[in-house]
Amino acid sequence: MRKSNFRSTQLSRRDLLARVGGVGLAGLLGASPWKAMAATIVELPFVNGRRELVTTFPQKGAMLLQRTRPPLLETPFEVFDHGVFTPNDRFYVRWHLANIPTTIDPATFRLEIHGHVREPISLTLDELVDKFEPYEMVAVNQCSGNSRGFFKPRVAGGEWANGAMGNALWKGVRLKDLLDRAGVKAGALQVRFNGLDAGVLAQTPDFMKSLAIDHARDGEVMIAYAMNGEPLPLLNGFPLRLVVPGWYATYWVKMLNDIEVLNAPDDNFWTAKAYLIPDTPFANVAPGQQGVKMIPINRMLPRSFFTNVKDGAVLKVGQSMPVRGIAFGGDTALAQVLFSPDAGTQWQEARLGPDHGKYSFRQWEVPLRLASRGARKLMVKAINTAGSAQPDHANWNAAGFMRNVIESVSVQAV
Amino acid sequence: MNTNRRNLAPSRMVPVLLGVALAAGLASPRTTDSQPASEKRASGPGQRWSKVSVVLPASENRFPPGKGSNLTVQCLICHSAGMVLRQPPLTLDEWAGEINKMRNAFGAPLPADQVDTLAKYLYTINGRHSPGGPTTVDGQGS
Repeated sequence: MRKSNFRSTQLSRRDLLARVGGVGLAGLLGASPWKAMAATIVELPFVNGRRELVTTFPQKGAMLLQRTRPPLLETPFEVFDHGVFTPNDRFYVRWHLANIPTTIDPATFRLEIHGHVREPISLTLDELVDKFEPYEMVAVNQCSGNSRGFFKPRVAGGEWANGAMGNALWKGVRLKDLLDRAGVKAGALQVRFNGLDAGVLAQTPDFMKSLAIDHARDGEVMIAYAMNGEPLPLLNGFPLRLVVPGWYATYWVKMLNDIEVLNAPDDNFWTAKAYLIPDTPFANVAPGQQGVKMIPINRMLPRSFFTNVKDGAVLKVGQSMPVRGIAFGGDTALAQVLFSPDAGTQWQEARLGPDHGKYSFRQWEVPLRLASRGARKLMVKAINTAGSAQPDHANWNAAGFMRNVIESVSVQAV
Repeated sequence: MNTNRRNLAPSRMVPVLLGVALAAGLASPRTTDSQPASEKRASGPGQRWSKVSVVLPASENRFPPGKGSNLTVQCLICHSAGMVLRQPPLTLDEWAGEINKMRNAFGAPLPADQVDTLAKYLYTINGRHSPGGPTTVDGQGS
């Protein structure tokens, strides 16, 4: 059971019902969940942050609606308090182009590997499963623009809070094994990935992303046919999705059906002109700053979050309670999670939960007992094994990418 | 989890899974007071593939009336209205920048001489006064 001190102020109807059943009505009175339940409206904490909690998307539970077509669905943050694996039906959804197939027939689906290879191959789903060694990995998938709504000044784009991320056990095959089967020829530079989605207009660039050939053959990049032990939801890329552990989700091409080995740099729009970041630490620039070298977005940065305490929470003086959350290292393992009960003056190391691999979410927890009344700012900071720590100050760039500032929540001890 | 299971129930929408109990521990949210949750790895699905067919919902958002609102049919070719309505308030120049990104990067067939009218409409329904500082809209399509 959760302790009532940790109830969040915004709950899905499902969570609310679960809690009413579990802890009794009295423990919940006075909180705002009733408002959320009545209207299924959630206010994200930024201007124009009103979002509907919807259950109208196939194979999806309650999700925050960012855009209906093509779908942008955010995971309500309380889901991340339930464990480090994000359920498939709560996993966030992000599509660029509206022409998304709504029927996938495995009888006719083929994955093509072609281009600068000795022998192009075409695989059915069964062949992919039967003819290649299975490979599994737990990895965080995070949108490049996760948390964009918190940028100051605000920037245009998908106005996410922190829920454009998820963690899953991916099962499939190594990309390297497929490329080796096709036989990459000398001179290969990049590998380009394309899925079944397309633009509505012929002149809209098809969504494709490329990786350097050495990255594609690193033995970790994989093609997933299962997610948390089930086929992928269609909106998460059924039947196949590229998994690029440690890299932002823009590379994790959904409904993957075409892999092309290139012997020249990929000049397609989505690789060459979109998803570019300033080539600066934390992709940080000053608003309006010009003349900064831009490079394709790439490796993820470490992040950590509170999952059982929200901004504005009221905690009882003298009562000991666990404060917990999730963290990940980005492109390498999480080394440490530090917690501060006093706005960053003192930091203590949090206890970490089970390790599911270096690319996974990991739960953290500290016991907290507030000795006196008053306002407190709690902070949490992740540091990865390469020594990269979350920064004190938020980054800024015009696309709203790669936010990873230290997270904080203001609470009141009474 | 009942809500979720109900959503997953229509079998025509979901591939049939054979032979594997999908780690209930993965699928069921859990909470802990004193220690982080432990999770189990699933061993993966039985490899049987079924056709998947889904219906995506239609948008219920509409652009409010106003001078220039007729031009939003151009926006709706590629995306629903909610994407625009949920943006932070933008300056007139920033809205024009967004519109031109849609024209130049994605091929929106809005004539150049209608950009100003559409930008003024969007500024009217969701605008902020220019602070005199730099635009924060970037030209990438992402």
